Amino acid sequence: MAESRTEAAVLKVQNYSMAYETENGPVEALKNVSLSVRPGETHAIVGESGSGKTTLAWAITRYLPDNARDLGGAILLGGDDMIGKSPSALSDVRGRRVAMVYQDPSSSLNPSMTLGDQVIEVLRRHRGMSPADASREAEAALERTGIRNPAAMMRRYPHEASGGEKQRVIIATAIACNPELIIFDEPTTALDILTANQIIELFLKLREETGVAALYISHDLGLVSRVADTVSVLYQGEIVEQGDVATVFDAPAHAYTQRLLAALPRPQDRLTDAAPGEDVPLMTLDNVGVCYYAPTLLTRLLEPGTKALYGARNISFSVKPGELLGVVGESGSGKSTIAKAATGLHPFEGSITFDGKRYDAARDFDREYRRQVQIVFQHPDGSLNPRETIGRILARPLRLYKLVPGAQVAERVAELLEMVLLPREFASRYPHQLSGGQKQRVAIARAFAAEPKLVICDEITASLDVSVQAAMARLLVDLQARSGAACIFITHDLNLVRQLAHRIVVMRDGAVVESFATENTEQPDRAAYTQDLINAVPVLARPAHPTTTEGLLQ
Amino acid sequence: MRKILSSPNGVAGVILLAIVMIAALLGPWIAPYDPQLFHSQNRLEGPSLDHWLGTDQYGRDLLSRILNGAPATVLFGLGATALGVGVGSIIGVIAGVAGGRADGVIMRILDGMLAMPELLFTLLIVTFLGGGTLQALLAVAVAFTPGMARIARSSVLSVRTREYVLAARARGESRAWIVVREVLPNAIGPIIVEATIRVSFAIMIGATLGFLGLGAQPPSTEWGLMVSEARQFMFRNPWGVIIPGIAIAMTAMGFNLFGDALRDAFDPKRSH
Repeated sequence: MAESRTEAAVLKVQNYSMAYETENGPVEALKNVSLSVRPGETHAIVGESGSGKTTLAWAITRYLPDNARDLGGAILLGGDDMIGKSPSALSDVRGRRVAMVYQDPSSSLNPSMTLGDQVIEVLRRHRGMSPADASREAEAALERTGIRNPAAMMRRYPHEASGGEKQRVIIATAIACNPELIIFDEPTTALDILTANQIIELFLKLREETGVAALYISHDLGLVSRVADTVSVLYQGEIVEQGDVATVFDAPAHAYTQRLLAALPRPQDRLTDAAPGEDVPLMTLDNVGVCYYAPTLLTRLLEPGTKALYGARNISFSVKPGELLGVVGESGSGKSTIAKAATGLHPFEGSITFDGKRYDAARDFDREYRRQVQIVFQHPDGSLNPRETIGRILARPLRLYKLVPGAQVAERVAELLEMVLLPREFASRYPHQLSGGQKQRVAIARAFAAEPKLVICDEITASLDVSVQAAMARLLVDLQARSGAACIFITHDLNLVRQLAHRIVVMRDGAVVESFATENTEQPDRAAYTQDLINAVPVLARPAHPTTTEGLLQ
Repeated sequence: MRKILSSPNGVAGVILLAIVMIAALLGPWIAPYDPQLFHSQNRLEGPSLDHWLGTDQYGRDLLSRILNGAPATVLFGLGATALGVGVGSIIGVIAGVAGGRADGVIMRILDGMLAMPELLFTLLIVTFLGGGTLQALLAVAVAFTPGMARIARSSVLSVRTREYVLAARARGESRAWIVVREVLPNAIGPIIVEATIRVSFAIMIGATLGFLGLGAQPPSTEWGLMVSEARQFMFRNPWGVIIPGIAIAMTAMGFNLFGDALRDAFDPKRSH
C-alpha cells in the first residue's frame, strides 16, 4: 500500500474486519473498515447504537473480549501494527501513545483514590517521573483544563467533584502524557447540556494548544459538526461514507447518511399545527412541590440543621386542551418529578386542578382522573411487563376502564397497533421480541388506549436512536392531533421540543424558570438560562436545502 | 431446559438428580431385600455378589436400605424447603410490597432470627418440639424462613420500581393486581433458584439431625440415621458410613448443580 501516507498518519486502520464468536455462530461486528487520522486532525465516527463505533475503539486499543476474533486487516499506530502486540507492549502503548476518554466520568475514575493521585499515577507510570515532579505536572495539567483551584481538586475524591469536573480530570490525564492519539468515546453524553458544552470548548482549546490527533466517537451529529475535521459514518459495522465534515454533512452521498441528517430535529421544521385558541386550562398545577426527604423528629433533634429535600417546589403552570406543552430542563431540574406527581406516583404538596376538579393529594386521584391522565416513560425496555404479550398489555387499559365490551377487545387491540404503525400480529408477541422503537410505540398505544385527555411523555425519545426519535415524534404529534388530547412533552432536547411544542416551560433546580410560546423562543427577553440552553445546542442545517446551506446556525 | 443442559454443571446436576429421583420413586420396589431383614451370617460385610453394597451390623442389606430410605430423605428435603420457601416468600413479598414501617419491623425481626446459625437454630427448635421426622422438617422450614424472606424481598424491591409497575400504579390498578400480575411473575425467578439450592441444605441438615438422633428414629432407613448407626462399626466395615454418605452427597450435589444451572438459565445477561 502507499507507504508514504501510512507514515504520515497517526492512526491508520486498513481493511480491518472483526467478529464476535457467539452461540449462534460468528457475528461480524466490523466489516472492512479503513480510516486514517493525520496529526492534529479530529476524525469523528458517527453511527447509531449497535453500529460498531465503540467496538472499533476497543479494537484500536486492543481491549477486546475473549470471544472477539480479528478477521484481517491492519491497525497501524504511528506505523506499527497493534494487532499481534504482546500484552506488555500494549500496556506501554495504552495511556502513553493512545489515551481514552470514556462516556461516563463517574465510572472511569477509581472512587477510592483522590483525583490527584490518579493523575500522578499515570504520569509516573508512563513518563517515569518522580513523585514530586509528577505532582507538579499533574497540577499544571489540571490547570490547563480550566479547573479553578487545581491544588484543592487534587485532594478531592471523585464523589466530591461534579460530572464536568471529573471529565476535565480525565481529559487532563489523557493529555498529560502527550499521546499521539486520544480516543473520545461519547465524552459528553452522560453530562448536562451546559456542562457538555464547556467540555467541548475545553477540547477545542486543548486541541489548539497541543495539536493532538483525536478519534471522536459520537451519535450526536450536531456535536460532531462542531469538533471534527473529517468523519466516517458507520452503519452495521461498515463505513458507508467518509470525508470532510462539511462535505459529508452538506451533501451526503449515501442514503443512510441522508436519513440520519434528515432525522435531526430542527426547530424551523414545525411538526405541530397552530396552538389551540385561548381556552379554559385543562390542567393547572398550583404551587406543586414534591418532597423526597423530610427529616424525622429524631433527626431534627439530633441534627437541627437537616433540611427537607425537594425534587421540585412551587411549580405552577397550566395546559390547555389539545395543547402540546414542552417541559425542558437538565437532569435534576425536577421535570420527571412533576410527571410523577401529576400521575399519582409520588405524594405532592399544593394542588392540581384537572377538568374543573381540584385535587390536593395523590391519593385523591380517582379512577376517572387516572384514565384521563396517562404517562409514557423513558425506557421502552422497562415500561412493558416482560412476561405479558403485547396484546394483553394493550388490552389491560381497555378492560380496566371498561372502554369496550369484552368481545371487541381483540379487535380494538389490533386497531391500536395499527394506529402506532405496527402490524396487528404483534399482539401475540412478547416485549423482548420487539426493538426499542417498537416497544416505545406499544407504550404510546397503551397510553392512548385509555382515551385520555392528557398524555405525559417523560423523555420518551431519549433512549432511542436519532432516526427512530424523529419517527416517534411525528407519530406522537399525529396521534395527539387526531385524538385531541393535550400532551406534556418532557425532554432535555431543546431542538426537538421547539419542533413539537406550542408552548415551552423551562425548569431548573426544581423550579420553573419561565414559560413562553415556542415562536418566541429566540426573543431577546428570554431568561439568561434559557438563552444558554439555546446556545449550547447547535442546530444542523438541512443538507442541500436552498435557504440554509450556509452551515451552522449557532 | 435446553439452557440448563448447555453447561457441563447443568448436565451433571440433571444426571445426579435423575438417579436420585429414580431411587426415590422406585426405590422400595427395586430393592433386592427387605431393608429390615437380618442376614446374621453376613454382618458387617463389604460389597459382594449377594450384597452389592455390603451389610450393616445386623446383616441388613445396605443397597436395600439406601433405596428404601431415598423417598423419605428426598421428601424431607423437598417438604422442608417447600414449607420454608413458601412461608419465607410470602413474608418477604409482603415486606417488599408494603415498604416503609411494616417492612422495617418485619425485616428487623427476621434479622434477629438470621443472627443465629441455621443449624443451632434448628437444634433449638427440635429441642422444643422433640425428636422425629416431622419435627425436624418443621425445624428446618422455620430456619429457612428468614433467609428466604430476605431473598424474596430484595427480588420484589428490584421489580417494584420498574416502569411497567409504575405504569400500572399510574393506571390506578389495585394493589393485589399489581402484586400478582406485574411484580410476582418477574420476581419469582431468583426465589425458585434459591429454593432448588436450599433443597440440598435441607437434606444435609436433615441428615445431621438424623445423625444426632434428633430426626428420624431407628429402625428408619433415613440416610443420616444410617451414618449415625454405622459410626460405631466404622473401623470394622467403613462401607456402612461411606454408602449413605455418598448417597447424601450425591443428592445434595445434584440439587446444588441444578440450582446453579437454573440460575444461569434465568439470568438474561448470561444468555446470548
